[in-house]
Amino acid sequence: MSSETTTQQGWRRILHHDELVMGTVVTFDLYDDAEASSGLESMLLDAIRVLHEADRVFSTYQADSPISRLRRGEIDLDQCPAPVRDVLELCERARDITHGWFDPWSLAGGVDPTGYVKGWAAQRSLDVLRRSGVRGALVNAAGDTASFGGPLPGAPFRIGIVDPQQTQALACVVESPGAVATSGTYERGGHLIDPHTGRPASRAASATVTGPDLGLADALATALAVGGREVLPLVEGLDGFEGLLIDFDGDFEMTTGLRVAPAPKTIR
Amino acid sequence: MGLAGLLSFNSSPVKLSLGALPAATAPPGSTAAPTTTTTTKPVSGGSTPPPTTAGAPTTTTTAVPTASRSATGAMTNYSFGILSVKVTVSGTKITNISIASIDDGGNPRSAYIDQASLPLLEQQALAAQSANIQGVSGASYTTAGFEQSLQSALSKLGL
Repeated sequence: MSSETTTQQGWRRILHHDELVMGTVVTFDLYDDAEASSGLESMLLDAIRVLHEADRVFSTYQADSPISRLRRGEIDLDQCPAPVRDVLELCERARDITHGWFDPWSLAGGVDPTGYVKGWAAQRSLDVLRRSGVRGALVNAAGDTASFGGPLPGAPFRIGIVDPQQTQALACVVESPGAVATSGTYERGGHLIDPHTGRPASRAASATVTGPDLGLADALATALAVGGREVLPLVEGLDGFEGLLIDFDGDFEMTTGLRVAPAPKTIR
Repeated sequence: MGLAGLLSFNSSPVKLSLGALPAATAPPGSTAAPTTTTTTKPVSGGSTPPPTTAGAPTTTTTAVPTASRSATGAMTNYSFGILSVKVTVSGTKITNISIASIDDGGNPRSAYIDQASLPLLEQQALAAQSANIQGVSGASYTTAGFEQSLQSALSKLGL
C-alpha cells in the first residue's frame, strides 16, 4: 500500500522539508488534500524559526548562548530569556516525575537541559503548524517525532522504532498519539549518564515513550533508557504516556496501554 | 543558512521515490516487490528547485528509456563530513541506492554514526512506503546531505 502518494482516499503528503538545526536534521512532512499554499510556506518558515531560536538560546556549543552563560555563572536565571526559565521548570517537573532518572542538574559543567530542549522545540514548532489548518503534520527531530492528525483521514501516523541491535532495521511499529521519543545507547555511543552515579549507564538497549507532548516524552525516554524497568511504572502512571523497553537480548517490556505492531517483513 | 533556499514545496518527492522502490539492501526474494511507483516526478535542478506551488504531479510512464542507468550525485556536506550518493534507475524507477563516497575526516564518533545511520536511511525510505509508516524513531543524523546528493544524481539522469 502506498501511503504518501495515494490520492483516492483524499490526503497526500504535500510538503517535505529538511532543516539543519540544533546540530542535527529536523524534517517536516505535511499532509492535506489541498496543494501547499504560500500561506503554508510562511507558516513553515515560522515553525522553522522556532527551532533556530531554541538553538540560539539553548546551544551549549555556542559560548555566548544564554544557556552557556548561565552555566558559566555569568548571568543568573532572572537574566535569562523567559524560555530558559520555562524549560528549566519543565525539566524540574520531569526530574520529579522520573524520581531523578532524568536530571539535567546532575551533569558535569552545570545544568544542561539539552535532553529536553530538542523535543520541546520540535513540539513548539509543530504547534505553529497547527495554526495553519493543515490536516496532518509530522516533525521528526532526528528520531523524535511530534505530530497531529495523520497521513489520511482517521489514520494516525505510524512510526517505526529502530532496532537497537541492528540499527538499519526496525524492531516494531507504534501509532503516534502526538509524540514518539526513543533513547538508546546506540545513538551516540553511550551518551546516557546515570544521574545517581554521574557515570555512563544504561539498563536498556532502547527506550521509547509515546504521549501527548514531545518535550516530556523525550525526557521520559531518557529516564527509561538509563533506569530500565524500574522506571516503567512511573511512565505507566502518567496519563496519556506509554513506554516500551527493549533489553539487550531484544526482548520487549511495555506499559499496558501501548499497542505495538510487528516490524514490517521487508525490513531486515 | 538561508531558510528559503532549503525549502522545497512539492519539489522533493525524490524522498518518496526512494521509498517507493526496492532498496539496494533488500534481500533477494524479499517482499519489497517493486509494486508501487510514486506518481510524482522529482524536480530536477539541484540545490535550488524552482518555487513551484503546484508541484505538477507528473506521471512517469512515458518517453523515458527503460535501460538501467547510474549516476553519482554531487559531493554534499552533511552533519559530520561529506558524502555522495550513487543511484541506479531503470526507466524512472530507482533500483539501487548506495553511498558512493563518504569522508568524515577520520572522526571516530562520526564514523560510528555513519555506520548506524546511512544504511538506515535506505531502509527508512523503504519502510515508509512498503509498511505504511511515516517516520522512524531512533537515531538518524544525515538525511539532508544524503537526499541532496541523491537529488543531484537523479537530475544528472534527467529525472
